[in-house]
Amino acid sequence: MTLVARRLDHALHDRARRRLVPSGTARRRQLVIVEMMLAVAGCIAGYTLFIDWARHFEVRVCEQIILAMGVDRISAALGDSFIVFGPGFEPVTAQMTGSCSILSSVLALAALAVIVLRERSQVLLGFVVASVFVLAANQVRLVLSLLAGRYFAVDALVFFHDWIGAVINFAYTLIGLLIMIGMTMYDAQRAEQDHTGRHTADRPEAWARPGLGHRVPLDDDDAPKAPKVQVAAFLHRKILPRALSVRLARRRERTRVDYRVGHENADRRAAIVRELAAKGLGVHTATLLAVATHETDIGVLDALADAVAARQWEPVANADVVALRLWARAWLMRTPAVDVDFVPESGRLIAVTGAGGPAGVAVIQALQKAGDAVLALDANPDGVGLRLATHSAVLPRADQPGYAESLLSILAEHRPGALVCTVAEEYHALTPLVGHLDELGVRTWLPDPASAETCLDKIAFATALHAAGVPHPATAWTADTAGLVPGPWVVKPARGRGSRDVVLVDNPADLPHAFFSVPGAIVQTRLAGQEFTADALVARDGRMVACVPRWRDETRGGISVRGTTFASATVTEVVAATLRAVGHSGPANVQGFVDFTGAVTIVEVNPRFSGGLPLTLAAGADVVSAYVAGILDPAAEMPGLEFQPGVRMARYFSEVFYTSSSLEMVGAAR
Amino acid sequence: MTGGVASPAGGGRHRRVPENFRRGLLTHALLLTAAFALFGVDRTLGWIATVLNIVFLLFFFRHLAFAVSAARWAERDLDAPVIGIQTYTPSIAVLIACKDEELVVDGMVAAMLDLSYPPDRLTVVVVDDASTDGTGAKLDAWHAANPRLRVLHREPGAGGGKSGALNDALALVDAEIAVIFDADHQPESSVLRRLVRHFRDPRVGAVMGRCVVRNGVESNLASTIFIDYLSGYLVNEYGRQALFELPAYGGANCAVRTDLIRGLGGWNPHTVTEDTDLTLRLLLDGYRVRYDSTAVDFEEAVLSNSRFWRQRYRWARGHQKCLRDFWWPVLRTRHLSPMEKLETILFLWVYHVPVLCGLGLVLIGLRAFGIGGSSFIQMIALSALLFAGPFTELAVGLVLGRVSRKAVWMLVGFIPAFGMSILTASKAYFDGMWGTTYTWSKTARSGVTSAPAAPPPAMKAAA
Repeated sequence: MTLVARRLDHALHDRARRRLVPSGTARRRQLVIVEMMLAVAGCIAGYTLFIDWARHFEVRVCEQIILAMGVDRISAALGDSFIVFGPGFEPVTAQMTGSCSILSSVLALAALAVIVLRERSQVLLGFVVASVFVLAANQVRLVLSLLAGRYFAVDALVFFHDWIGAVINFAYTLIGLLIMIGMTMYDAQRAEQDHTGRHTADRPEAWARPGLGHRVPLDDDDAPKAPKVQVAAFLHRKILPRALSVRLARRRERTRVDYRVGHENADRRAAIVRELAAKGLGVHTATLLAVATHETDIGVLDALADAVAARQWEPVANADVVALRLWARAWLMRTPAVDVDFVPESGRLIAVTGAGGPAGVAVIQALQKAGDAVLALDANPDGVGLRLATHSAVLPRADQPGYAESLLSILAEHRPGALVCTVAEEYHALTPLVGHLDELGVRTWLPDPASAETCLDKIAFATALHAAGVPHPATAWTADTAGLVPGPWVVKPARGRGSRDVVLVDNPADLPHAFFSVPGAIVQTRLAGQEFTADALVARDGRMVACVPRWRDETRGGISVRGTTFASATVTEVVAATLRAVGHSGPANVQGFVDFTGAVTIVEVNPRFSGGLPLTLAAGADVVSAYVAGILDPAAEMPGLEFQPGVRMARYFSEVFYTSSSLEMVGAAR
Repeated sequence: MTGGVASPAGGGRHRRVPENFRRGLLTHALLLTAAFALFGVDRTLGWIATVLNIVFLLFFFRHLAFAVSAARWAERDLDAPVIGIQTYTPSIAVLIACKDEELVVDGMVAAMLDLSYPPDRLTVVVVDDASTDGTGAKLDAWHAANPRLRVLHREPGAGGGKSGALNDALALVDAEIAVIFDADHQPESSVLRRLVRHFRDPRVGAVMGRCVVRNGVESNLASTIFIDYLSGYLVNEYGRQALFELPAYGGANCAVRTDLIRGLGGWNPHTVTEDTDLTLRLLLDGYRVRYDSTAVDFEEAVLSNSRFWRQRYRWARGHQKCLRDFWWPVLRTRHLSPMEKLETILFLWVYHVPVLCGLGLVLIGLRAFGIGGSSFIQMIALSALLFAGPFTELAVGLVLGRVSRKAVWMLVGFIPAFGMSILTASKAYFDGMWGTTYTWSKTARSGVTSAPAAPPPAMKAAA
């Protein structure tokens, strides 16, 4: 830091320490106190300056009324007094004192009008009318006091003036105040609510000021009606010169919000905003500012910001235009990531089983991207999906006792709208629970048990595909026939998943050992060519609504870690034939090979979402949302899903961190 | 002074406060008698009148200041853009205590389930405080249809009134913020986001929203209360915040940090106005209460004079107790500036002013019988100021609320209401000083305007 900078810093710091800058609240308080003091000073000054004049004026008015009434025994005004002769001709001087005058009441009304109600110009007319009323009412008081003295007794004059008159004084001042307030208030046409608190202005809820009226349907009799005489309309049409009328209308338009905009759809609102801004930012400023304040549709706000940005040449007409430009500046400078990440909440809770597996994680993340809250379920307390979801719970395995009870208990607690099963082996345990799930309001869509069984049992699967004529490798499941299968071979369990216990055999001498060492083994010809998986979704009526084939460029543990989507009519056709052959509906992934001649052979079908699902979603086929929509509305027709071929996927590791005793995540890293 | 109850007076520190103030009443009487003997009746009454006039003037200017501040700024506040309410979402527990509320509970629960807030950040707990009508069954039916709603049934005799019910509900949740509603309340869907936005400031301990009467159409009294609320929230509460940063936490449609309320020992079951009590305890602990005039919920006003009397008596009784409990801690605290202490004491004095009005009327009456000096006449003029202050607030409330002109004549109804407030506050004052037993008095509902937009779940669902 240079010497100059150091000295400047020291001087500024010193000045800041010495200066007593009041807080915003203290400033507001001081401002209000000053206003009230000025009002009090104004009342005192006004009273001091005008009280004599006011007394003379009121006495003269009273004198004229007495004369007009023709009452005898009350003198004409003698300065500020009358001489009144009572019933016994006893004289008394009735003097108009300062407290008898209306000046203090009028000054009080004026002070209130100026410091409290001045924001509305209507208060001026209200003040004038209230003052005239107070004057008239005080004349009634004065005349009645004099008449009391004339017809009853001197004491009656005093009593009437001091006591009854004081009450009258209080009453007419209060009524004068009410008149002023009433004339300052809004007429029924412009008011937002009626005297019972019902909203009457029909403002769009999102644009209305909060809490101005309870929104209930109004009877025709209660709805505000146009006044019979519209003074402003009459003035503009008949009295004011057209040029002046137009000029006033323009000025009014600037400060008036056009609430009709709020009733339109988003596209139309954006178009209206562009039209309004195109006339100039100073023309419909209030409406444009209201859009910036209340609008929540990003498209409409983009349209407004672009329109404001396009009119930076325009001279700044007023402070509201500055506010608009500041808003547009901030809007256009906002972090783009905010838009990308923002997901409106759907308000739905979806349960996902198998949350620890790749398919479960992929489904959870897809649901969360769609704005759904997720209840993650898994048998493994360390299942990663349990840490990614909003709610999570650990279940027994589907083949263990207590699975059904635990599942129903958890679902009864959370009441998700739908259940997505990502573990095909759970289908047999879930199928008997469908009735209970319905009672809990939890919808699900499980494949036909026989179909699922066909997919899970590789022997039944091979039989079904051979019967349907779908290309499938030669398969043997007995020791006698294993030797008939052409090599090279792959030996795997008839019921298994995730490449567990899969043995590749090239030497015929090794085949018997492999066959007997793998539990429940089958033997298949090992296929040559390029391996693929097709993520498919089949509607309840058997129509395949999505088929996204992708090459399995690299796999680890049976999961595709590198892949590329591709389009192939042949593959799609064979996949559809395969799913028809097994009678499947719902999500499935079909695995197979395409050899160098282009021939397609199907190896297996998993009747569930795949671990490589993110690639299918990234390619544009949102099979998860479509499936959930199909669960929630079984009768709705499922539209076909398109996808983009050539999308590549490279997967990487991601971590979550948590304590062993809790399901709560303490951190996450990507 | 006999016995005493523990009253939490800030920071969870418990201070012994007496159950009655009979010695105080006796002292007042002795002082008055001594003054009569020493200075004469007329002179003594003259001094009392002078003191009353000063008090009336002080409160007139207080009301006027609030009216001026609201007239100047409140309208723009209602229109002001809200910032960051989508991104700041601390976990919230909405707590509602219900006792025999079957007429209104459906509308309330429907409104709660319609609140706009991330479902994973929101818990709604409704306490059925040993209801003897169908409240519990209705709540169970709602719970069966929507498990997001949690229902806690309290046993008869669990005690503590509303405070006890809220404390039990608080024990069930682990949210950062507790938001309180009453059973007849139906908040606007944005109310939670609007309330909690103020907790970005760590000094803020509680936030108060604005309550609006929704059944003004049911009776003239309800319509009058609708206008009273407009003035109370749009002007008085707003003015306290704008000029002193000292709005009051109001007991419903308000939010409080759960760690603070737990640290303070929960809601105070020894008072019938736990809201004012909590306001004071937060202030004494160095926290602030904020008020948001755009966080709106709708509630029912009472419909009959007897219910109005009971409700206002409870408010007066509890508020006056708060003055007796907290005036000394307020004067001693280092968390309030002298100006803030003055405003807090005036706020605590609010329900004593009608008592002084009654005293003023007695003095005027005595003058009519020739007792007291002529200066008493001035009492009438200065008393008028006491009316002018609230009327000015009411006027600003009507203008800010954009109520149609017809409502101005409803203001006349406030004159008998003022009269009734003199009676309720005076009775509450003497009962409180004497130490008569008083427990929570539930406000009865009509339920006419409480029908939910969505149909309630069938009762068989509960079975």
